[in-house]
This record gives sequence, structure tokens and C-alpha cells, in this order.
Amino acid sequence: MMTHPEQPRVVRKKLFSPVWLLPLIALALGAWLGIKSIRESGIDVRVHFPSATGIDVSKTLVRYKGLNVGKVVDISIDDELKGVNVDLVLDYRANNLLKENTKFWLVTPKASITGVEGLDALFSGNYIGMLPGEGDFRDHFEAEREAPTVIPSGDGLVIELNADTLGSLDVGSPIFYRQIPVGNIVSYHLDEQHRIQLKGFVQQQYAHLVKQDSRFWNVSGVRVDASLAGIKVDTESIASILAGGIAFNSPDMSKEAEDDQLFQLYDSQQEAHGGSSFLLTADNAEGIKVGTDVVFRELPVGEVEEVKLTDNGVAIHVRMDRPYSDLIGADAQFWVEGAQLSLSEVKHPERLISGNVIRFTPGAGKPQTQYPLRQTAPETNGQPLQLTLTASENPGAAVGADIRYRNVKIGEVTAVKLSDDFNTVNISVDIDTPFTALITQGSDFIVQSPLKVKASLDGVEVSGTDVDNLTKGRIDLRPGKGKVVADQAQLPIFASADAANRYYLQQKQLVWTLHSPSTAVNSGSDVYYKKMQIGKVTNVKWQASDDSFAIKLAIDPAYQSLLNDKAVFWPTEALSLAASLNGIDLSVAPLGGVIKGGITLGLLPNTAADNHLLYASKTLAEHQSVPVALKLPLNSGIKSGADIRYQGNLVGSVAQVQLSEDMKSLTASAYLYGRFANQLRSSDSHYQVEDAQLSLNGVKNAASIITGPFISVVPGKQPELSKSFTVTAAASAIDSGNPMTITLVRNELGSIKQGTGIFYRGIRIGEVTQYQLSTEGQQVVITALIAEHYQHLINASSHFYDLSGIKIDAGIFSGLQVETGSVENIITGGIGVATEFNTQTAGKVAAPFTLESKPQSAWLNWTPAL
Amino acid sequence: MSVNQTTKARGVDIGVFRCQVCGQLNDQHDEYCVRCSSAISPRNYRSLQNSWALLITAAILLVPANIYPITTLTKSGIVTHETIFSGILRLVHADLVPIAIIVFTASILVPWLKVLGLAFYLSAISFNIPISRQKLMAGFHIIEWIGRWSMLDLFVISLSVALVSMGQLLDAQPAPAATAFALVIFFTQLAAKTLDTRLLWDQLDKNDDTP
Repeated sequence: MMTHPEQPRVVRKKLFSPVWLLPLIALALGAWLGIKSIRESGIDVRVHFPSATGIDVSKTLVRYKGLNVGKVVDISIDDELKGVNVDLVLDYRANNLLKENTKFWLVTPKASITGVEGLDALFSGNYIGMLPGEGDFRDHFEAEREAPTVIPSGDGLVIELNADTLGSLDVGSPIFYRQIPVGNIVSYHLDEQHRIQLKGFVQQQYAHLVKQDSRFWNVSGVRVDASLAGIKVDTESIASILAGGIAFNSPDMSKEAEDDQLFQLYDSQQEAHGGSSFLLTADNAEGIKVGTDVVFRELPVGEVEEVKLTDNGVAIHVRMDRPYSDLIGADAQFWVEGAQLSLSEVKHPERLISGNVIRFTPGAGKPQTQYPLRQTAPETNGQPLQLTLTASENPGAAVGADIRYRNVKIGEVTAVKLSDDFNTVNISVDIDTPFTALITQGSDFIVQSPLKVKASLDGVEVSGTDVDNLTKGRIDLRPGKGKVVADQAQLPIFASADAANRYYLQQKQLVWTLHSPSTAVNSGSDVYYKKMQIGKVTNVKWQASDDSFAIKLAIDPAYQSLLNDKAVFWPTEALSLAASLNGIDLSVAPLGGVIKGGITLGLLPNTAADNHLLYASKTLAEHQSVPVALKLPLNSGIKSGADIRYQGNLVGSVAQVQLSEDMKSLTASAYLYGRFANQLRSSDSHYQVEDAQLSLNGVKNAASIITGPFISVVPGKQPELSKSFTVTAAASAIDSGNPMTITLVRNELGSIKQGTGIFYRGIRIGEVTQYQLSTEGQQVVITALIAEHYQHLINASSHFYDLSGIKIDAGIFSGLQVETGSVENIITGGIGVATEFNTQTAGKVAAPFTLESKPQSAWLNWTPAL
Repeated sequence: MSVNQTTKARGVDIGVFRCQVCGQLNDQHDEYCVRCSSAISPRNYRSLQNSWALLITAAILLVPANIYPITTLTKSGIVTHETIFSGILRLVHADLVPIAIIVFTASILVPWLKVLGLAFYLSAISFNIPISRQKLMAGFHIIEWIGRWSMLDLFVISLSVALVSMGQLLDAQPAPAATAFALVIFFTQLAAKTLDTRLLWDQLDKNDDTP
């Protein structure tokens, strides 16, 4: 083992182990990390905010395009105590973003109709937004109060829009292209000229749609176009209804828009496409409103933008659509045109709703800024015939109304004016040249009302004329037979054919005057003969001299023969119902008379006494009645319409009953039939009230139970006539005249009641009117009346006894004795009276009588001569 | 030679080399272990140099490991970078002091102690610094025992990365310092392993202060 020799090993000593590379590598790594970290260490930036609300140290981040580029490391109050300095540390890569115009602002969550902005801020807390700007490097900034235009993430096109009003646009409102949202409004502010400048962002993929000549308009809300063609509702998205929006379109052949290009934002699509604009002047803006179309060959080529009042009329701003701007030349003529409707042709019915349009003839030459607006289309041939139509008041003619003959337009109304003396209305009319021969002496013009409604019992007839009339009205010519009139002639115009006929008729009608103490008609009421209208009441006049009315009738000439000495007049009764026990007579007047009232003319078989008197009723008229005045007892019960009879035959009637001023009687005006008038008005004629009398004995004047009391008359024989009579009370009435009041006392009332009769020898001479307890309550005091002509039967020797009931005396020996008064007494009760002898006190008994319960037999045998 | 002397004698003194790999005692003339054929040498003086190099590497890496964020935590979209120390402070603020102590020990105390301890031993060997045997042995045992715990931080990170992954809501990712830290641990372990401890014992015997 020890034998083999040592072989010296030569080991080259290494100066450094390769392991020393490791520290070098580590050093290099550390150095690299160090350099890197120094290089990548944040940039300190100080931003001055008005307040630190919503900013937290080390929590609030700085974001640029959604990327965290730094965070808040410190907040301190500034030296002036007017805000806070927020120290940020930004990523080293943000170095290039920190320029002079770089903006910082605080982003807080914001919810609006178009969406929720800063939702991330809601989640992660507020953050500081950053927008790089131009300029030199800078590390201290003043924070923006509001978020500046923040371009949504991603590339795109930024456009600027000028608008007069913001409408409902807001940041976030969409921008539409063919109703596809392609971008958003990102900001708006007022510029130096106080116009609104909006900034919009169009996404990259749609940016090419925006051209240099693109036109933008506001599509906020809902646009409704209603016309005969239908209703068109235009909206963009629901969001745009609520939050507003902008739409645009672009011509195909145009260069793409540049970034930050300025566009005008129009209020509507129409406006957006507008080309040239000019002014139209007119006296008035009738039929013209904002939005009225300007049409050429029935194609809308522009519209009225604004109508303004000027010193001497109106100025109408018209904007022509861009492609048609060149149509208007120096000698262009503009006029207003509405719907043209006739039976044969309906032109432009939509204008009835959409309104008039402005038409024009394009002219040649350099366009002008101002043109006159005519009310009518320019004439192409000849000078029209000018007429003046006169009427007392405007029958409904309007400027522009057609003049027609056989429904062919022959002219037009050009002006409606009051005459110089203001008494008539002058309507200036132009008649087109070919038709001037139609206008002759005696021609007249009728205004055609657009709608005629004719209502009768047959039904309602509604007839409309041309729809044309609805808007402009129409006047028809009725040619006369005279010579052709000259220019500037005057002709009459009427509101309707009826009015014209009436006018002509009135020239020929007969006038008849009636007088009447009262009036049931007014002017315009019809006059009938056998229910046929023959004329009208033209005038009703009160005459102070005799407190009566003068009624003027105009009777059609055809009925002239009726107005003879047999004619009588009475007011048409709308509905007369003559009811009696004999039956009911119902008569209805013509419907017109029912509503308007009227006068009926009747013919008598013989000469009428007065054919200018308006009788109160048909009956009176037919009987040629003569008025009389009657004085009636207060309680007679006579009412107006009550009959006056002679032996049950009708000879007149009461027209009106009134309470006299002294309240002690009634006065009545009555009519007596003409035939009997003279006899009945004889000064000694006797008038008496007749009423129904009901008793068990029978019924007298039964009819008057229903019809009420009437007046009976007994003609006198005196030749002299009287105009007023006093009517005596009904013969039966106890309280008529001057009855005597007597008082009866009794211990108890028994069957006595009001109306219980007082009988003398079985004859009713009076009745109980009331009863009451005596003041001490010991007796019943009965008050009774004794008729005037029986008063002499009562005197101090009179004895009163109860007649009521049945007395039955039954005895074993006397047998049965039944004693009753009359049957009436058994039922109604009664008081008997017996008087022993004549005294001087008849009719003047003051002391109360005692009412005995039964008569002494002696009383019944008294037979005094009274 | 007494028994006592014998027991105190080193292999090199009696011509026996212990194989560093399998523990076989070999004759001092052998170049390779008779059992495992590993190269044997009486003393590996080069290991000292290697150990130094590794230690210095670890020491260098210790700086970025502590300065740079070790985790990137995304919470509700907010990204925060945590260094080792800020993480510990955060734990303290969250009233998790016991955990903070553990993490502090594992992530800061242990690596630093290990680096410093190793540097101390290597200095003692290289520059013949007289240190009492007791202190050396105590330090040696501490370093030996403590080293294995220094991977705690990396465990936490790797677990976090695996478990906490909810995208923008909550997410944890290792940051550059994690690599550096891992390397620190790796190189300190390697440095400790590389060192031929017999050099230390030689040094011990020289300064033997035990009776």
C-alpha cells in the first residue's frame, strides 16, 4: 500500500472560482432593478382642486382612458386656504402626458337617461380623470370644474356642432346615422358668441360616414306629421325621445370630415337640408305659418321658417331646400294656394289640414332677397271685370273665395271692405275675362254656405257643397236678364238663396196690421192659413196710447185674396186641448208655429166685425167675441178659460182673472160671442157663478166638478149696453153675501163638524163653520153661519137641537119608535132650529144659543109667521 | 496519544478522510471515496470562497427583495403593490400582530439573520477571528434550524396566487421582489450548504477555550 510512489498532482490554482459570477449577476440584476425602478418611479404632480370632497389619499386613482396611471398620495390645504393641493404620483409612462394644457378633473358617478357614467367610479370610488394636452412639461395643474370633452375609449372622429338651443340634448345623447347610433355628444358649452357649441364623438367604424358636407339636425322628441295622407310619427330611438339626439346624413360625393370640424346643428331635418333663404312680404300672413311648404310642380322645395310682423305687413322667411335654390330668379312670383276642391275635382285635400302652400313661378335672373307674396295666382290672360257687390253686412264672403256659375269658377273675391260711409259692405270681385258676358243687370250673387242643415219632421238633411267652400267659401252667380254690366258695376249679394228670395219677396209683400191687447208672437213668427204658411210677422210694436200692440204682417202676394173683410186672426195655439165631459178635442199647430209662435188667419162665413183684431183664441175669433169686464166674488173659483153659459150653452169665456187691488174681489176680462154679445151686454144682464153642488139629494152642475165653476148669464132687456158686470156668488153658497154669524154652545161636540148643516123645517139655511172649546174648557163653542136671506128666521126665541143620528125609543107599551131626520142628516149630521115667535131681534142675535141634544116636541109645532 | 487526545484528534491528523457524501472513512491518500467514488479531500478550502460568493449574491438580492413589492394585489380594480415591510405594517394595522410577528420573523428577521450569521462564520474562518466555541455552536444550530422557515413568505405568495384569483375583484400576483426573495433564500441555503464545515471546526479547535 505504501509502495507505490506518490505521484505529485499538479493542480492549477484558480484565482477566482466561477461561483463569483453569481454575485456579479445578482449585482447586475439588482442594478438593473434599481435603474428600472428609478426610471419607472412615479412622477410627482400637484393638482389644485377647489375641494377635496370625494378624494382620498392613496385610494383615489388617476385614470387616463380607463388605465390607472397614478394615485393620490397626499392632500394639503393650499396657502390661501381656498382649495386643496392634491399630490399625485403618476406612472412614469404618463410623463409625456403632462403638458401645459393637460387637464385633471374629478370623476364622480353620474346617472342620466342615456346611461350611467362613471359606473366604475361608483364601484371603485371617485377617480381623477386626466386628459393630455399640448405644451411644455409641467407638474402642477389647476383642476377642471367639469369633465372636459372625454373622448370615449377608442379612436373616432370628434366633431363640433353649433346650435342655437340645446333642446333636450345632453352629454351622452346619441348621434344617429340612419337611426343607428354611431356616437355621442361628449360635451357642450357656450362659446364667445353665446351660441351653444357641442362636441360629438363618432366611433371609428362610423367615422367615414361623416363628410365635409354632412348636415346635422336635432331629433329630440317625437315629430308628428298629420295630414290627409295619414299620420306620420318620426322618432329615433326611445332614448332620443327622452334624452334627445342628433341625426345626420351625408352626401355620397364628399370628402370625409376632419377631426374637430365645425358643423351647424339644425332644429329639424328639413332645416338641415335647407339651401337658400329669402323674404316674402305680404299684407297679412293669412294661411301662412311656420312650416308652410313652398311647392313647385307639387313638390315641396322649401318651407316657411319664420313669420314676422313688420311695420307695413308681414315678412315671411322662406328657406329653399338646397337642390332647388337655383329655381328662384329675379322675376319669380309667389302666391298662396290652398286646397282646391270641387265636385268634379279634388285637388290637394291635404291642404285642408296641412294648410296653404306657397307656389311660385321660377324666374330668371339673379335671385333677390325679397319678393312680394300675392294672395292669388298671377293672371295669365286679360284684364278681369271688376265688380263691387254690396250687402248690408258681410254675407260670408272671404278674400279668395271663388265666384262660380254653374259650378265653374269665373272669378274670385279680391277684397272685402266697408263702404266709405260704413253703411254697407263692399266686396270687390274680379270676374275672369271669358265670363264677363254673364254679368248682367239684375244679376245677383249668393254666398254658398259650406254646410246646409235642413231639419224637419221628415228628418234632417245635411248637404255640403264643395269641400273647397270649407276653406275659402264660394259665391254663386245668378245671372239677370238685363244688359251686360260695365266695369266697376255694383250688384247685390245675399247670404243665401232664401235670403235673396226673401229680399225680393219683401219688395212685393202685402202688409197687414193687427192690434192686440197682448202679444203672443214676435217678429219672424209665421202667419198660417189652414196650417199653411202664408206670411210672416215682420214687426211687433207696443203702443203707449192704448197699451196695445201693433203687429205688422207681411203676407205673400199669392194669398192676397184672403185678406178680406171676413178674415179674423188669432194666435196659433201650439197645442190646444179642449177637454170636457163631452170628450177631448186635441189640435196641434204646425211644428214651426209651435216653436216660433204664429198667427192663424181664418175666414168667417160672414163679414167679420174687426179684421184687424188679434183675438185671444181661435174660438173667440170664430165667434167674433166681444170683450167685457167682470167683477167676481173673491171665492168664486172662476179661473181663466172658464165658460160663460146661458142656460148651459156656451156664449163666451173668461180670458183672464186677476185679484183686484182692494183684495175684496176678482176682476176678469171675458169675451162674449159676437152673435149674443148685444143681448148679453144689456146693462141689466145678470151674471152669476155656478158651481157643482153635491148632496145626497143630487148633483147640480156636475160638469163643473171637472171643469171648475162657470158663469151663467141671464140676458137683460135694456137696450143700452154695458162693458162691465158684477157677477153674483153662487146661489147656494151660504157664505155669499152677508151671512149672519151665530154661536151655539153645547157640552160636547157630538157628530157636529165643519159643514154640518143648519136646517129649518128641513131646509138648509146655514152651516157650521168652526167649533172650539170655550176658554174655560167647560163647553164646546160652535160657530155657524146663517145665509143672508134666511137670517130673519133666527131670533132670540130660536132653539137649536141636534138632528144627528137615529133615535130609537123602545118601550114595552109604547112599542118601537124610530125617529130620524133626513137620510142626509143620518150620515152627515145636522142641527135643527125652531123659532117660537117673531121678535124684533131677527138677524141680530148676539148671545150664544144652547144646542140641545133633542127637540122638545112643542118646538116642532111652532109655526110663527116670520 | 491518549484516548482523550485521540477523541480530540481530527481525521486529517490521523490520516483518515471522511467522505463528505456517504460518510465513508478513507485513507488520506485516496482521491476518491472507496464506497461512492466521490472526490475526497482533507479540507475543501474552495468551499469557503464559494460560500462567500453565494452569500454576497444573497446579500445583494436581499436589497431588491425588501425594497420592491413582493405581491401585486388587485382589490376591486385597485391595484396595490405590497413590499414585505408594508405587508407587515398592513397586518399590524389590521390588528393581526401575532401574524405580523410570524411574517416579520420569517420574511425579514430570518433571511437577515441568516445572511449576517453566515457572514459572521465565514469571516471567522477567513480572518481567524477568535470567537468562543460556545457562541459559534449556538449560532450554528440556530442558523441550521431557522433557515428552513424562511420560505414561509414564498409559501404565502404561492398559496395566495393559487387561491386568490377573482379577476378584477380580488387578485394576487407575485411581484419582482418575490423572485429576489426566493433567490435570497436559495443562495443563503446554498451558501450554508456549500461551506465545508470542517474549516469551521478547525477554527474551533484553534480557539478551543474549553478545558
